[in-house]
Amino acid sequence: MSVLDFDYMLGLVPILLSYLPLTLEMAAAGMVLALALACGLAVIRVLKIPGLNAATMLFISFFRGTPLLVQLFLFYYGLPQLLHFLTQINGITATIMGLTLHFSAYMAESIRAAIVGVDRSQTEAALSIGMTNGQLMRRIVLPQATRVAVPTLMNYFIDMIKATSLAFTLGVTELMGATQKEAAGSFLYFEAFVTVAVIYWIVVELLAWGQRRLEARLNKAYSR
Amino acid sequence: MLRALALFRKVALPVLSAGLLTAAGVAQAQQDDTLRVGMSGRYFPFTFVEQDTLKGFEVDVMEAVADEMGTEVVFETANFSGLFGMLESGRIDTIANQITITEERQAKYAFTEPYVYDGAQVVVKEGNTSISGVEDLAGKSVAVNLGSNFEALLRELPYADEIDIQTYESNIEQDTALGRVDAFVMDRVSASQVIKEKPLPLQLAGETFSKIRNALPFRDTEQGRQLRDEVDKALSTLRDNGTLAEISERWFGNDITQP
Repeated sequence: MSVLDFDYMLGLVPILLSYLPLTLEMAAAGMVLALALACGLAVIRVLKIPGLNAATMLFISFFRGTPLLVQLFLFYYGLPQLLHFLTQINGITATIMGLTLHFSAYMAESIRAAIVGVDRSQTEAALSIGMTNGQLMRRIVLPQATRVAVPTLMNYFIDMIKATSLAFTLGVTELMGATQKEAAGSFLYFEAFVTVAVIYWIVVELLAWGQRRLEARLNKAYSR
Repeated sequence: MLRALALFRKVALPVLSAGLLTAAGVAQAQQDDTLRVGMSGRYFPFTFVEQDTLKGFEVDVMEAVADEMGTEVVFETANFSGLFGMLESGRIDTIANQITITEERQAKYAFTEPYVYDGAQVVVKEGNTSISGVEDLAGKSVAVNLGSNFEALLRELPYADEIDIQTYESNIEQDTALGRVDAFVMDRVSASQVIKEKPLPLQLAGETFSKIRNALPFRDTEQGRQLRDEVDKALSTLRDNGTLAEISERWFGNDITQP
């Protein structure tokens, strides 16, 4: 086993970093959309809206029950054979859509759990002093649920960043795709993959640091 | 701090603008006068990336073809397993990734005339004397690329049942060098190139065992066949005027474009 080619790794860093924004953009867009969709789904599940509740359960069951890669292939290659206009969707958009649908299924469940987890006495107290349902949600339940949901949602975001590495299968050259192609040119696989692993790791660590600060803020009211 | 800012401007800004250009590129790719070519970008020396630049025999050939046709060429890179999906869903016009003509593929796609003639080659780890050709593969584990034609070639062998065929998405050279599999099968041209240029302890085992002809597949529709005919015309001009041979000499030191 030869020694690591550090010069090659250093040279690779700026090239790979130039693909990092695309990776983060796809993850961020996916996260915002997934969060919005997941909130909607969670509310439907909590309120057990007739009809919609069953549809939501089916949605969650499918997108949680099949691999993300299968879903991406279905959207990008499968459906366009039936519905031709879908070929207008490019790989980046398809990846964001895939991430959104897939992760919203997971996130809906953890948001629902956070809402349901707020103690019933809180609701009863709020209603007893004459709050409306909207006020109850906005002022009492959601602030407490957010605090519970943040750690798991951040977990999904981290997972989503890493899941963007599947996008090269749809022809999107993001961080991982760029690494794979560079490795194919140099055959220095170990160097290339160590470099990209460190980049992913640093990015996730920065996010974890942000998460700790956010949690500290949300926990202020609870610290003694 | 200033340096970090400069780095940000040097790295992040071009990327953001590149993002916009990508969006523009997608729109542009819809135009009729652009030839959209898919490739893996991971098949040395046919298509690979060095210092962020896409290079290789396929890139040079397709650029010459587009020049000859008087059109623009756009390269789309994706994992090999995604390429035929992109072709079928109309996102690219053809695949330049040493696609071997097979009966199954011919039934489904409209191929140009072959532009590369080659053979299947067994490659083993350096110093491995137990395998000296395809006839020694019985009882061994052999790696091939997922979706490639070499798997089918191995399965046609009379003793195919005794071969432990492992399909890979990539990195078959690496796993053979590491000893995880006993051998891999690839086309002779790129196998010899890998051994010559890359720091992996590998060697050719015996002669090639099957003739293969590689060509460009197009969708088997009226539009696809029309484009195929235009590309075929350009290819035959490039063959006659020596351009194909010249590109081949440059990458391989010999002419692989003649039977």
